[in-house]
Amino acid sequence: MYQDLSFREKSAWAMGALALIITLFYLADVQPISWRTGEAPPVDRHFIKIAIATIVGSIIIQSVLAARNPKEAEAPADERERLALARAGNHAGFILAFGSVAALLHYLVHANGDLLFHGILISLLVSTIAESALQIFYFRRGG
Amino acid sequence: MGKPPPISNRVRLHRMLAGDMTQAELGEAVGVTRHTIIAIEQGRYSPSLETAFRIARLFDVGVEDVFGWEEQP
Repeated sequence: MYQDLSFREKSAWAMGALALIITLFYLADVQPISWRTGEAPPVDRHFIKIAIATIVGSIIIQSVLAARNPKEAEAPADERERLALARAGNHAGFILAFGSVAALLHYLVHANGDLLFHGILISLLVSTIAESALQIFYFRRGG
Repeated sequence: MGKPPPISNRVRLHRMLAGDMTQAELGEAVGVTRHTIIAIEQGRYSPSLETAFRIARLFDVGVEDVFGWEEQP
């Protein structure tokens, strides 16, 4: 089955899995602190850890995929792939916007800057997962 | 999965007539990936007008010899 996947579909699976793992680790890291203290300050080791994990993980994934499929990795996306990527990016953008606006509205009512930070960061992670899932869906559907 | 587009095609037939051209060879010749040729042949994707013309010209036939409109109820 792996051989039947295009380079961009393999990339979508891998990046989606990375984003999902990072989101789960982030929630597992922050939630206990939040329950214990009632809030979790954003600018500390949690954010730095996920930022580094995202960058390093993305570089490793793209390097391994490109090394295994050098010809496909160099080729630009064709018309069907561009359509699928654009549709997925469009829907993911709505998810990010919805989550960000919800976090901002929460801030207006409760004035909790920590939750605003976490709300926007979680929206970003969820929209990244959704973008990968939607890319796979549109690649499978045909465009 | 959504409703397939109402466009039929005979790409696979023309590939066979062109000496068993592979999907990868056809894709490379017209500037799309093998997976896009597979999606076109399976009726999951309707190519752009430009790609449709490229495919037809490659097989030295008219566009309507390769692609057709399927009336749906």
